[in-house]
Amino acid sequence: MELEVKREKLVLRLGKQKYEWHIEPRYWRNPLTYVGILVILPVLAYFFYPTILPTLIDANLLAAIAIPLGWMTLGTGRMNFGPQFYIGAGGYAAALCSIHLGWGPAITLIVAIAVGLFFGLLMSPLTIVAGGLYYTLLTLLFPLVFLEITFIYTDIFKGDVGLFGIAPMVNVGSFTVNQLLICFMALFIMLIYMFIVDKILRSKFATALAAINDDEEVAEAMGVNVRKMKIISFTIPAVMIAIIGWFYSHYYGTFSGITYLPLSFMLKILMVNMIGGRVQIYGNVVGGYFIAFLELILIQLLGDYSPVVFYIILLILLLTLPEGLFGLYRKRHYREYLPTLHVRR
Amino acid sequence: MNEILNVSNVSKHFGGLMAVDNVSFSIYEGETLGLMGPNGAGKTTLVNLVTGKYLADSGHIHFLGQDITRMAPYKRCKLGISRTYQIPRPFPELTALMSVVVSALYGKDRENQSLEDAATDATHYLEFCGLFSKRNVLCKDLTLYELRGLELARALATTPKLVFVDEVMAGLNPTEAGKAVNLLERAKEEFGVTILWIEHVMAALMKAAQRVVVLHYGKKIAEGLPQDIANDPVVIECYLGSCHV
Repeated sequence: MELEVKREKLVLRLGKQKYEWHIEPRYWRNPLTYVGILVILPVLAYFFYPTILPTLIDANLLAAIAIPLGWMTLGTGRMNFGPQFYIGAGGYAAALCSIHLGWGPAITLIVAIAVGLFFGLLMSPLTIVAGGLYYTLLTLLFPLVFLEITFIYTDIFKGDVGLFGIAPMVNVGSFTVNQLLICFMALFIMLIYMFIVDKILRSKFATALAAINDDEEVAEAMGVNVRKMKIISFTIPAVMIAIIGWFYSHYYGTFSGITYLPLSFMLKILMVNMIGGRVQIYGNVVGGYFIAFLELILIQLLGDYSPVVFYIILLILLLTLPEGLFGLYRKRHYREYLPTLHVRR
Repeated sequence: MNEILNVSNVSKHFGGLMAVDNVSFSIYEGETLGLMGPNGAGKTTLVNLVTGKYLADSGHIHFLGQDITRMAPYKRCKLGISRTYQIPRPFPELTALMSVVVSALYGKDRENQSLEDAATDATHYLEFCGLFSKRNVLCKDLTLYELRGLELARALATTPKLVFVDEVMAGLNPTEAGKAVNLLERAKEEFGVTILWIEHVMAALMKAAQRVVVLHYGKKIAEGLPQDIANDPVVIECYLGSCHV
């Protein structure tokens, strides 16, 4: 085995195999720097300020919801206002299986994926038949209908009390260590999502998604199978979001629709998306941490008034930064859109 | 010459309006067919029927012997039908290069074609249309003339056999229009495409087209050589009004 650092390249020779990684020379643009910071943060929190561990978990999970939502928005060319429906679907599926069948998180994860896939496929035709405002309104409606169903069938969903007694995600005996481990798991899921969606948005598949986002009729005339692309871009993110529902379920040990299905939770996710910048996955991570910490700070400073001030601040941010934080960068580098490719003569 | 496209007895109505009424014509390989008619004659609707945006109410469309009447637009594109739009419809958030890359990637099913391969192809088409220097400019920042060039580059990047050119000269000044006509002629020579050219500017069409089809109120009223069409009293009546006949 031989490891060699060349200019902008890390070369690993393992027997006859050769692996190369390009190193981003500008450290401030190297994603690994930021991944390193995100990994160190929970460790620092564990030693110095363990009470912010739940906020870090929330931040990672918000980002993990916003990242696939960005892909869904780009690939369908429509704004989904009901991503929390899939959180509810995945969460309730995991909770019900865990409580009634005694299944652990590993098995309920498969159930949550299956349920996410089922509802994703079931609702994906909406991206073809409904456009613009109609699509947005319909997607807005689904979680609210689901919430009503949880109240009507209280014997199954336990209404606003919620289901409890769900098998915990991890249990090593210490609450703080549990929180640290869960924080790393949330970070791991978020990073996996970021990696997957980043790879997709840099691939040739993304050119079709970007074309659909701009003008799906022209995209189809240029040979893009718009229906297939939309169904893929709707269903897979739906499954990814359902997995977060599964995570919430096993993380808290209780799951209640009233926490995730109302508009307030949807607003939080959309704000993450907006503040980070639409279809900017790194921006979504920034947005997730921003929203989670803003909420924490406001609760500590303002107590009961915090929800009002929280949404006022977000509204001001939306008005002043219509393209999110990434918009500030884009103003200076207007060519840096996704997917981007430069050729030289 | 081989017949490349055959449109037989195609009709399309929107509510009570008969946009295309029992129209039949053929296009032969390598020719430039002009499609003329006053505003609202049904020219663009006919193109939309052939490219798949609309489905015909009746009649049949055959492309290279294959019935494409009910085929999805993307499949028609992969077969070799491409188009430009009367009012340019760029992908505003994409750069000129990336919008041509979309066509190069999806216009045909090619095995093992990477994004970089498609970019190389796209570069060629951009250079052909004189837009290489604008490759990294967002489409929404291009001028009308550049957008026309981009539309052609995008259409050619799908490696079509038949290109529908919808009023390429609309909104261009005489110099730009002349350049656009030359570009189309070069495209025909270099890429061996067959062109169906919809145009209001009769002079340009008379010069470039081998045959001309004339539509009026959705009906085909004349078909023939450009000089015969120019002298056809029915066509003159449609364009200039009955008092001039």
